[in-house]
Formats: sequence, C-alpha cells, structure tokens
Amino acid sequence: MFDATNGEISKALVTLTIEKTLLNMGKPVLDEVARRLFTNYKCFIPDCHEHPEYLKSVLKELYGNCYGNIVESIKKSLDEFATKKSIEHFLMVISE
Amino acid sequence: MQTNLEKSQTKKYLLLSILGTGFIMLTANFAGQEVTNLTTNLLYVPVPGALVVLSIMIAARFSVKGEHGRAWIFFVGVAVSWFIAEQIWLVYDLVYQIDPFPSLADFFYLAGYPFLFLFSIYYLKPLQRAISKKTLTYVSLTAVTLLIPSVYMALDQNSQIGDFELALALSYPIVDAIVLIPALIGVILFFRGEVNFLWSLICVAIILNVVADTGFLITSMNGSYYMGHPIDMLFLWAYILFSFGVYSHIQIFKKHRPNIKSQSLDDLR
Repeated sequence: MFDATNGEISKALVTLTIEKTLLNMGKPVLDEVARRLFTNYKCFIPDCHEHPEYLKSVLKELYGNCYGNIVESIKKSLDEFATKKSIEHFLMVISE
Repeated sequence: MQTNLEKSQTKKYLLLSILGTGFIMLTANFAGQEVTNLTTNLLYVPVPGALVVLSIMIAARFSVKGEHGRAWIFFVGVAVSWFIAEQIWLVYDLVYQIDPFPSLADFFYLAGYPFLFLFSIYYLKPLQRAISKKTLTYVSLTAVTLLIPSVYMALDQNSQIGDFELALALSYPIVDAIVLIPALIGVILFFRGEVNFLWSLICVAIILNVVADTGFLITSMNGSYYMGHPIDMLFLWAYILFSFGVYSHIQIFKKHRPNIKSQSLDDLR
C-alpha cells in the first residue's frame, strides 16, 4: 500500500492545481511554463511546491506584471487546503 | 522561449516589412494611378494571406482547448473573413472594374468584427486583474467620443447615398468603437509596463485598423479616396502588425522535443 506523507500530499495538490490552471489556458502554456522552469532553474512543476518563487518568476516572464490573474486562480483552487503549513507557505510566496 | 536575439530579430523584420510596404506603395503612387491600383490590390493578397496562415498555425498549436485556444480560433475567424473580403474587393476592383462599396466584401469585413471582439476578450483574460474599472470607464468614454464624429460624418452624407449604403457606412464606426475598447486597454497595459511589446502588437494593430477605417470613411465621403491612397498603407500595416503579433506567440509557444512535464510526474511517484 502507498502511504503518502502530508508533505507528499501537499506537493501533489500544488502540482495538480498548477497544471490544471495552466491547462485551462491551453496546453502550450503548461508546456512552456514547464520548459522554462527546467531551462532556468533545472526544476519541474512539483518542485514549485518548495520553490514557488520559480513559478512566479516564469509566469512574470510570460505575462509581465499581469501574472496575478493566474496566481489568483491557483490561490482559489487551493484555498480550502490553505490551512496546511506547506500550502500556506506556497500561497504566501506566490502572492507576494 | 524567445531569446533576446530572436526578439530583436522579430522587431527588425517588423520594421523592414513596414518600411518595405510603405516604400512599394509610395513608389507605385509616383508611377501613376493604374500602377498604384494594381500594386495595392495585389499587396492585399500576400499580406492578409500571411495572417491567415499564421493564425491557423497558432490555432492548431493551441487546438480548441483552453482560453488561449478559444481566442485563437476566433482570430482565425477574423483573418479568414478579412482575407475573403479583400479578395472580393480585388475581384470587383481589378476584374469587374466596379466600385466595391457596397458589396459582398462589406459582409465579410463586418463579419470579422464580432470574432475580433471575442478574440480580444479571451486574449486579455489572463490580464483581467490589471484592468481597473476606472481604466475601463475612461477607455469606453474615449471610444464613444471617437465614434461621434464618424457617425456624424456618415449621417451628413444622408442625401447623397441610399439607406443600405448609409447603414453600412454607419456600421463601421460602431464596430470600430467596440473593438477599440479592448485594444486601448492592451496598449495602456503595455505603457504601464505590465505586458511586453509583442503582446501588445495585436492591440496596436486593432487601433491602426480603426484609424484606417476612419480615414477611409473620411476620404470616401469627400471623394478623395482612390485605391492605393496612403490610407491603404495603414490597413496593410495593421495586417503586418497582426501577423507579427501572432508570429511572436508562435515563437513563445512553439513545440519543443523533451516532454518535461511527464518526467516531472514520474519523479513525484
């Protein structure tokens, strides 16, 4: 049986939320964000759970200061889990 | 990702295309009315044609899924409608040698506007939070203010043209004012530094197209319009700006070989 820790569950939730939000915009957007994360920071979407600043910087590269709309969508989807410490940290950094 | 070199090359080609088109049209104007007419009509084949090809490419990249996907599908509608309209105009003007206004071309020109408006809405959706109610109000007021003189001019010709022609002449400033609202918002966001230049190119193209439409209305009403008039240069420049705007998106969201996303999910498991 697969026993997931709280940290792993949070990571999965954050990953799925980011992917779903970007997919809503279009698959090429998700692909491009994933590619830029890897090119710039050698990281993948799940790593944004620990490094929300990477995601924030890539979104800023693509959409300028208007990345806030995407961040808002991610925040809305994760709102009910915001009490979890790691998700709270992710949301705090990405919204700064 | 578009590198800085690619970005500066795109801007260089954009400038060259604009200068090149301007040069061709000015040279043709010196060569006489017939050459101007032929050259301008022929320019309306590759320039809007390139836009159709590019818009189909970006729409195919996004498919119909997602907000961007829907936006680009609407944009294909604009490019195709206007391309058909330009070709109908060309056939009327060059082949039948009759005045193309009013004609089926107007139906296709006007059909492009609802698509353009819907495209702008979806295109600006990711930037929605940056658009304040105040900006929206000012922009709407500006669009309505610009609409008034154009409508007045069209109505002033009431006695000289029929009801159908008048309705058509009135339709253009109205639809222009509607599409001007999202276009002005896009340009304001660019000047505030919130989006990059290439993002705002499509909005600049819409504004240029509105300016060209107004110029066309004025010159047509006072009888000074002829095919190849400098106003046509604005229409062609608008198509070029649209094309480069679309091209920049193709560059940003082009396909890359490695599937990084699936690797990342494997890592997580």
